Amino acid sequence: MADTLTPPTGELENFDPQRVVEEPLWRVRLRLGWRSFRRNWALFNDNKMGVVGLAIIALFGLMALAHPILMATIWSNHLEGGKNVYDIRAGADSIIVTKTIVEEVTDPLTEISQIEAMFLGTGVNIPEIGDTIESPLANPAPPVFSGVKHPHILGTDPFGGDVFSQLLFGARAAFLLGAIAAISSVALATLVGTISAYFGGVIDTLLMRLADLVILIPLLPLLIVVSGFWNVELTMLGILIGILSGLGGTAIILKSQALSVKVKPFIDAARIAGGGHWRIITRHIIPNVLPLSFLYMMFAVTGAIFTEAALSFLGLLNIQQSWGIMINIAHTQGYTLEGFDVWWLMFPAGLAITLFSAGFFLVGRAMDEVVNPRLRKR
Amino acid sequence: MAQTLEIESRGGKAGTPLLEVQNLVMHYGTKEGDVSAVEDVTFTLNNGEAIGLVGESGCGKTSIALTLLRLLPDNSVVKSGDVRLDGESLIGLDEEQMRRRRWRDISMVFQGAMNSWNPVYRIGDQIREALRLHWPETLTYQEETERIAALFELVGLNPATMERYPHEFSGGMRQRAVIAMALSCNPKVIIADEPTTALDVIVQDQILRELKKIQKELGMSIIYISHDIAVIAEVTERMGVMYAGKLVELGSTIEVFHRPKHPYSYLLLKSTPSITGPRRKLAPLEGEPPNLIEPPSGCRFHPRCPFATQQCIDEDPPLTTVGEGHSVACWHWQEVPEIGGLQK
Amino acid sequence: MVKYIAKRFGQIFILFYVFLALLFLLLDLQPGDISQQFVGNPNIPPEAKVIMVRQLGLDQPKIVQLGHHLWNYSFGMDMGVSWSSYPREVADILFTALPRTVFLFLTATVLSFWLGFYTGKLVAWRRGTVVEKSVMVTSIFFWTVFYPWFAILMLWFFASQLGWFPIGKFITVETWIGSPFSADSVFILMLTSIAAVTLVYGILRLVIDRSTDDPRSRQNLHRIALWSLIAVATVFWAFNSRRTYAMDILWHTVVPVLTLTLVNFAGTTLLTRSSMLETLREDYILTARAKGVPESTIRDRHAARNAMLPVTTSLVLQLAVVIAGGVITEQIFSWPGLGRALLGAITAEDIPVAMGALALIGVLSLLAHLVADITYAFLDPRIRVQG
Repeated sequence: MADTLTPPTGELENFDPQRVVEEPLWRVRLRLGWRSFRRNWALFNDNKMGVVGLAIIALFGLMALAHPILMATIWSNHLEGGKNVYDIRAGADSIIVTKTIVEEVTDPLTEISQIEAMFLGTGVNIPEIGDTIESPLANPAPPVFSGVKHPHILGTDPFGGDVFSQLLFGARAAFLLGAIAAISSVALATLVGTISAYFGGVIDTLLMRLADLVILIPLLPLLIVVSGFWNVELTMLGILIGILSGLGGTAIILKSQALSVKVKPFIDAARIAGGGHWRIITRHIIPNVLPLSFLYMMFAVTGAIFTEAALSFLGLLNIQQSWGIMINIAHTQGYTLEGFDVWWLMFPAGLAITLFSAGFFLVGRAMDEVVNPRLRKR
Repeated sequence: MAQTLEIESRGGKAGTPLLEVQNLVMHYGTKEGDVSAVEDVTFTLNNGEAIGLVGESGCGKTSIALTLLRLLPDNSVVKSGDVRLDGESLIGLDEEQMRRRRWRDISMVFQGAMNSWNPVYRIGDQIREALRLHWPETLTYQEETERIAALFELVGLNPATMERYPHEFSGGMRQRAVIAMALSCNPKVIIADEPTTALDVIVQDQILRELKKIQKELGMSIIYISHDIAVIAEVTERMGVMYAGKLVELGSTIEVFHRPKHPYSYLLLKSTPSITGPRRKLAPLEGEPPNLIEPPSGCRFHPRCPFATQQCIDEDPPLTTVGEGHSVACWHWQEVPEIGGLQK
Repeated sequence: MVKYIAKRFGQIFILFYVFLALLFLLLDLQPGDISQQFVGNPNIPPEAKVIMVRQLGLDQPKIVQLGHHLWNYSFGMDMGVSWSSYPREVADILFTALPRTVFLFLTATVLSFWLGFYTGKLVAWRRGTVVEKSVMVTSIFFWTVFYPWFAILMLWFFASQLGWFPIGKFITVETWIGSPFSADSVFILMLTSIAAVTLVYGILRLVIDRSTDDPRSRQNLHRIALWSLIAVATVFWAFNSRRTYAMDILWHTVVPVLTLTLVNFAGTTLLTRSSMLETLREDYILTARAKGVPESTIRDRHAARNAMLPVTTSLVLQLAVVIAGGVITEQIFSWPGLGRALLGAITAEDIPVAMGALALIGVLSLLAHLVADITYAFLDPRIRVQG
């Protein structure tokens, strides 16, 4: 019976000072990190929506990887006028379609108006109604898988560009932009938040008033004006969004987290041990704010993707190709009200933006439950 | 029968049984398995009596309180047993019938009065809400206000403060107001769950005295629940000691304090300092409360018990009478030594 | 309370000037001198250029220019002359567009808040049910859907496919031919009647609350007041000759407002749900249960009332989404508001109108924050009683 009375001192008995010295610190950290990762993963895994989000992101990751591979392999030999048909910018498939000349065009895929036919032909004599004419693809073509020179899995856009290729490339652009914006935003917010919380006083007041101002500025209208003045490219846009969103709400939230870390005893201990400001901030406060920072990174991606796509849709950005531009082209070329009839023009891009945002949003929400125990079920 | 606006207890004749808890078994279903939170608990509260339940946190005290009011979370199941108030089973009532009895028959003083007030409504209005729901005859607004004022005076608060919001009250004031609210519908039973835990020591003492005075004056029946054995000693006549969901000892407070018969009660008392009693060495209670998903076999206390034998591992000791109104669930109660005792 | 509002007002006032200074900085930093931009613009007659140089004070030092800028935008109410539609004043263009934008924002925000709060409340209450799960999936879809695409789909579905509503724009031109009223005057009257009903209802509520202490009779009187005011407004419009024109404008607002509402509604639902779930864990909810308060009262009076506080705060952060959505809505539905003015100005390189529109949208955002702050103060006695 004696053993039942001994207190559980397993940890202490196994305590071996030698081992602590011998085991390098990084290994201890790694072990602890792995343990907490497993525990957090179990919590994350509880939320099925979060897992779905992760799967969506993985799918887009595959799409982004697939584009260069396909360009180098299957799509490499499809040349038309010296240019690759599947090239996202220059590529245009000149599939020749036979169209009937009619007075009033009801189906733009098989019919053509007299005036358009005149421009297509030699331009000398006016073509007769009822005649047929060979028309290169000036209209979006529906999806074709095989049997033609250049199969288009998701059809072509109004200029003959391959929608599927554009869609895959768009995933690359989205990841690039999302990563730039999220990292710059959260890095800035973490820095501003911890500095503000740690030093307090005037620095805190100034930074927080700045955050107030940034929250108040309507982001999209401001970016509209900026993109009207400057030639905004993808990287610049990412950094711009990162700065504007990182100085605002995220900084305030991370500051309150940093404040709750700052009052913990181990910060006092670090200070008494002679830790400098910078060391305390980087070694003690930031690591404890980091989980929340990662969480807001997910939401930052969602915001950045939306902003980019909206600006591209409005035709204000100077970027190569993105999902927003795909919708913009369909919209400006007059297919807005065609709806399902030319579904491949807007649905793939629209759904891609939606799912991509939703993926990060869902992962963010699931992470929220891991970081913030109050949200859990029990 | 016309109801007066008098503040009183609606219980019956002093000394007759009022609330009977019989062989109550309650489990929580969790992902890991069933948590046996309350296991075969039996006790009776008589009219005009104050009894106490004491035990470590997680031993099932609060679960009993919530079972009495049927306020348990969705994942809980009352497996067997019964709770009878004036002979009527509360477990068998449907939700609507039970709702009507809450506060009117059994009211509660919650632990942590800080958060038991809704921050957006005035204190007075929150008491008014209870009156509106449960007072047998509709009162006019003026009558309600008068009754709340009377309640405030009874618990030592200025009636003018009923217009204030919770954040304008200090911790002690809030707790007094909670007591006023508990008394508002002249209940038969009040359950005081850790009524003073969040307060500082001096306020704690004031509130306990106040509660004891009110209980005596009104002949109120109160069940005190606390982890703090000193609180129980101050205000109750009889007490039960709970361990891991089971009631291990039940007896008059003086008796249990002087001659605890259960090793757990003994160790618990030994670990508590006494100001008034003789000086003695404090012995901390070693080990931790067991995991209730897979409770220890036999007597649940055996892994921590210095008196444990093979019998304790194999067989669950029943609650047996060992003296005048004193019963204990232990195979070795005769071996437990006497404590010098704590003067009441 | 008064002190709190005064303080917020002061802060907003200062922020407004910082914002204006920021706009000046933006103008100043943009590639190419602004004077060069308009001097080279062939659309502008020489005399206008002279006015502009004087007005912009381009020959003066930067600090004076900044002073002029701040003065012109606030007290002078003078934002210059449009370059693309010379000689119209920027202020004239923008203040014509302003009520339309305000209407779009307000109706969409109020509707989505009301609906979203109600749905979020019910959904949180029924956690774990099929209803909750489907509402959640729908809300997440609406919240993350690419808004321009969604707006195009709505336009296509309601206007082109079903043909129930017009394809964008503010009015049907044919209906208004020979109309004795201008579209703006009718629209302003519509807005005025909505504002009047709201204002009178607010005053009546105050009067009622002063006159009786009993919450039961208060509630009844509030209801009577609201419904009789709505009845008065309905009768007024039913017998007004502007009726058909007002109906035409209303008909044009349905799809844009619906589209903007759906997206914001999803956001509010998600917010309210998590806020409710946190509130339901509070001790005072257990107290209310122990008091024998009926479940529906616990949900509405105890939980939802408190859950509203964080939702109000978060609405401020959500405002950016509303504004972005508003700009896109105006563009897709050809709704002639501020957002469309801004986009049009950017495309036409009309800098004064673009800056003016941005400033005005900024002011709207500032005011919305102020309103949210005041609402919060009213809802939370911890601020109302002490601050």
